[in-house]
Amino acid sequence: MPKQKLHPLPSSAFQILLSLAGEDLHGYGIMRQVAEQTGGRMRLGPGTLYSSIQSLSEEKLIEELNLREDEKPGQERRRYYRLTPAGRKVARTEAERLAELLRVARTKKIWKGDYV
Amino acid sequence: MSERIYAWLLRLYPSCFRAEYGEEALQLFRDRCRQERGFFAAMRLWLDLLADLAISVPRQYRHVQPAPIGASAGRRPDGTPSFCVLEGHSPRLGSLLLGAVLSAAAASIPIGHIANYRPFRSALAAHSPGYARWPPTSFRMTQAAGGSGQSGSRDFPSKPMVAQLASGFLQPPGAQPQSQEAPRAGARPAVERGNVGAPERQRVIHAIVANIKQHYVDPMVAEKMAAMLLAHETAGDYNAITDGAALAALLTRQLRDASQDPHLDVVYSQAPLHPPGLTSERLARYRVAMEQQNCAFEKVEVLPHNIGYLKLNSFPEPSICGAAATAAMASLNDADAIIFDLRDNRGGYPEMVMQIAAHLFDHPEYMYNPRENTTERSWTASPVAGARLADKPVYVLTSGRTFSGAEHFSYDLKMLKRATIVGERTGGAAHSGVFHRIDDHFGMGIPEARAINPFGKSDWEGTGVEPDVKVKAADALITAERLVQTKLKKK
Repeated sequence: MPKQKLHPLPSSAFQILLSLAGEDLHGYGIMRQVAEQTGGRMRLGPGTLYSSIQSLSEEKLIEELNLREDEKPGQERRRYYRLTPAGRKVARTEAERLAELLRVARTKKIWKGDYV
Repeated sequence: MSERIYAWLLRLYPSCFRAEYGEEALQLFRDRCRQERGFFAAMRLWLDLLADLAISVPRQYRHVQPAPIGASAGRRPDGTPSFCVLEGHSPRLGSLLLGAVLSAAAASIPIGHIANYRPFRSALAAHSPGYARWPPTSFRMTQAAGGSGQSGSRDFPSKPMVAQLASGFLQPPGAQPQSQEAPRAGARPAVERGNVGAPERQRVIHAIVANIKQHYVDPMVAEKMAAMLLAHETAGDYNAITDGAALAALLTRQLRDASQDPHLDVVYSQAPLHPPGLTSERLARYRVAMEQQNCAFEKVEVLPHNIGYLKLNSFPEPSICGAAATAAMASLNDADAIIFDLRDNRGGYPEMVMQIAAHLFDHPEYMYNPRENTTERSWTASPVAGARLADKPVYVLTSGRTFSGAEHFSYDLKMLKRATIVGERTGGAAHSGVFHRIDDHFGMGIPEARAINPFGKSDWEGTGVEPDVKVKAADALITAERLVQTKLKKK
């Protein structure tokens, strides 16, 4: 797979990284968390979600958890994902990039907001 | 019905994607159907799905295209390699056979001609006691050969949160660490030493440059180190070095000089390094080993005078041993004091350190871990429901072989004045590097995290954790028992 897939980081991938910052989630959990953190503006469909998950896993920014302690036999098996330290770093870098962008926007007086 | 339609639509995706995520995508569809009921919700769901298909199907095909060129199309999260085929159908049997014959013929030529060729010995790894231990013994040989002045008995760090589960901490505690019997560098016959040719040298240096740029905690310093290595390469400074260990030692020294960071390491291993990630096979082996060894809880008992005694030889993987740890702690809930015997504990998973420590506090407590960034995970999940140990005296027994994760446990409890450390000074392995495998023989450790140490600048790196009560490791238990008795009598 080409490396450029995550460079620049697509906003869906960034949102997924952010959604996993707090806790490990499965696919549907990620979708809901992303919807929540974007105020319902971004509803990831299965295709977008899992292709992002695929790229993020390949780049080792997230990892799939092999086991869940609370998993019971017979239950629907769900795959949980966790943010790796590398993923956290990428998310932080992206947040810093956006913060820098906001700073510029403020100096150009096209945006007035709290200090970021 | 709608599920079937969606299942059918999923066939638009490349087969590789479907095999990996098809079931998950369906599951997500089912979840949404279950949650989003009503006409408008259903309309919105289908609009979402169609938009999603329109965007993601072409993207998937765009990304599948280059896969065969890259040979291996990345790895699945569980570590097994996967390949993508462009067609939805698998190749015919005849083509597969022809392919097998041709590749066998092609492979036999280099195998016959390259004297140093060593196949990847996964089967051998299965029999080695330190199977999941990295770096193999030669890590220490590299250290010795490099004369870096660092203690030869250092263990390498692990950061299980990354897929670096390949680290040494997976070693079942029963297996003796290989470091003890590691041959010294000088003792190795020259013939055996790995020779490194120009192409490999170049590849290793470039991989190091790329890894540092991508992972090193300080990007500015990373750039500086990268420029330094490339400058040396251009100047031809590496051309004369054909010995893998010597190359690794030189690169380590140069990186450390340029960064002033003693945690950077380049490692050469004569034996092939494990590929990264915890394969299901190795995980299964680890699970069996843990079951046989009661999850490294060698003893959990109540000593005379109602002293809870817990001999723990590793901090095992929490998803496998979480229940065992909870049970062990619960069985000592009514003791008047707890002695943790970590004299044979070589480390383990920080999550398990946190899980056990959580029982000892009635409020979340910050546990400094030099290997990880400070996050919400750095606080214990205290109070633990039902635990009655938060106000009981705690003693930790240590020895010179108490290592790594066990030092994390000892250091933090000592600094928090939550435990009295009895025994010998610990091994002193606080590395904050994460291992990156470069190829079968080279790897490197790169610090990626910066944690806040509330107890001052230095931790136990190189120095070990100093016990509060210094006695020989062999006398630590009896000393601690006496201390507990004195303390309990005073009450």
